[in-house]
Amino acid sequence: MINFDYLATLDFSVPWQYRWQLLQATGTSLWLAFVATTVGVVLGTAVAIVGRMKFAPVRWIVLGYVEFFRNTPLLVQLTWIHFVVPLFTGVNTSPFMSGLIALTLNVTAYFSEAARAGINSVEKGQWEAARALGLHWIPIWSKVVLPQAFRIMIPPIANMVISIFKATAILSILAVDDLLRVSSRIANLSFKPVEVMTAMAIIYFVVGSIIAFGAGKVELKYGPRVGR
Amino acid sequence: MGFDWSILWQYREPLIGGAITTFSVVALSLLFGTLIAGVVCAGSLQKARFLRLPARAYVQIFRVIPEVALIFWVYLCLPLVLDIRMSSFQSGTLAISLICGAYLSEILRAGIIALPKGQSEAAVALGLSALPRWYKVILPQALRIVLPNIVSFITELVKMTSLLAAISVGEMAYQANVLGSQTFKYNEFFTSVAIAYFVVIFPITVFSRRLEKKGA
Repeated sequence: MINFDYLATLDFSVPWQYRWQLLQATGTSLWLAFVATTVGVVLGTAVAIVGRMKFAPVRWIVLGYVEFFRNTPLLVQLTWIHFVVPLFTGVNTSPFMSGLIALTLNVTAYFSEAARAGINSVEKGQWEAARALGLHWIPIWSKVVLPQAFRIMIPPIANMVISIFKATAILSILAVDDLLRVSSRIANLSFKPVEVMTAMAIIYFVVGSIIAFGAGKVELKYGPRVGR
Repeated sequence: MGFDWSILWQYREPLIGGAITTFSVVALSLLFGTLIAGVVCAGSLQKARFLRLPARAYVQIFRVIPEVALIFWVYLCLPLVLDIRMSSFQSGTLAISLICGAYLSEILRAGIIALPKGQSEAAVALGLSALPRWYKVILPQALRIVLPNIVSFITELVKMTSLLAAISVGEMAYQANVLGSQTFKYNEFFTSVAIAYFVVIFPITVFSRRLEKKGA
């Protein structure tokens, strides 16, 4: 069934010849994932805090945003932000910017759920004690609630980092020069799809495995202590 | 900014066709994915290393590499390696089925491992042979444990099918792209397709949350 004659003619010098382009594209993918993660953690926490406001319309807006971004495909969000939003705002964004905005909004929605769960897990007594000590709302959040909530948030965030790295590949559909798009361009250019795309898959696998391994370590070190 | 409803009606055929294609990909890849998951999960629970390691490697490969990258690989490379011809629908469904198999087998494995060991020991003590032990004792309980995870994976699966637009399978996201760029009515097509996805996915999410609450 496998075409061994064809496999024998494979020439893996082609991806090696384009190694710098592939490396640079891997860097772009990692950069996108890094920016989306860091901005997403900050914004997600902010969204979770805003989502607790007593003023109901704000809560509904937050809920609508989170549910919409969690229950539609990233690709659809991406094309929507790239093609439809400029019709309203009149500002055209480059594919890279649209991609980064869509990815960040998506990640923020997911992280805000993790942050919400983390904040909810902080015991009521902690809030009461902080108020009894006469703390202002800023130190209540920054010194009492969030440090405890972050510990609970670490496992879901660590799990999501690998999904975010995978999601960057979706941006290539919108002409962002990440690893997938650069690889498929090289594959077209060199007429060596199997060699180049396989090299790409190996790079994704290696980088993804390293990220997953690192996330596991971080989770062990800073996550909630099990069986304390 | 007007919203031109009539254009949606005018292009109802490709839109409905896209919805049908999305649904067929989801149904077919759930079917094939379940079959793959059964085999891979059985393999990864074996003690023999030559069965366990390939199963673990399969799961790892299909869960770590981005879905779109795998879709492109199956679309561009597999026909050359196997010397066959595949339509974009076929290779897209195959790619999603392979990914689906990896995720489902991992979910199923977690359920089987979570079962108390006493269950399978009791089945052995009752003199049940391997087949009824699995079909009557272990699998029904394991499936009940992981049902919320399976339902929530289905939402991921529906979202994943939108990626097939990249290899021009005519599902919903692809139709929105094509019709939008043909008519320049991006707002109408993209917004309505986004709402369509939400209307399908959100109830499944709510259902899986409810199952999770009931189980907990």
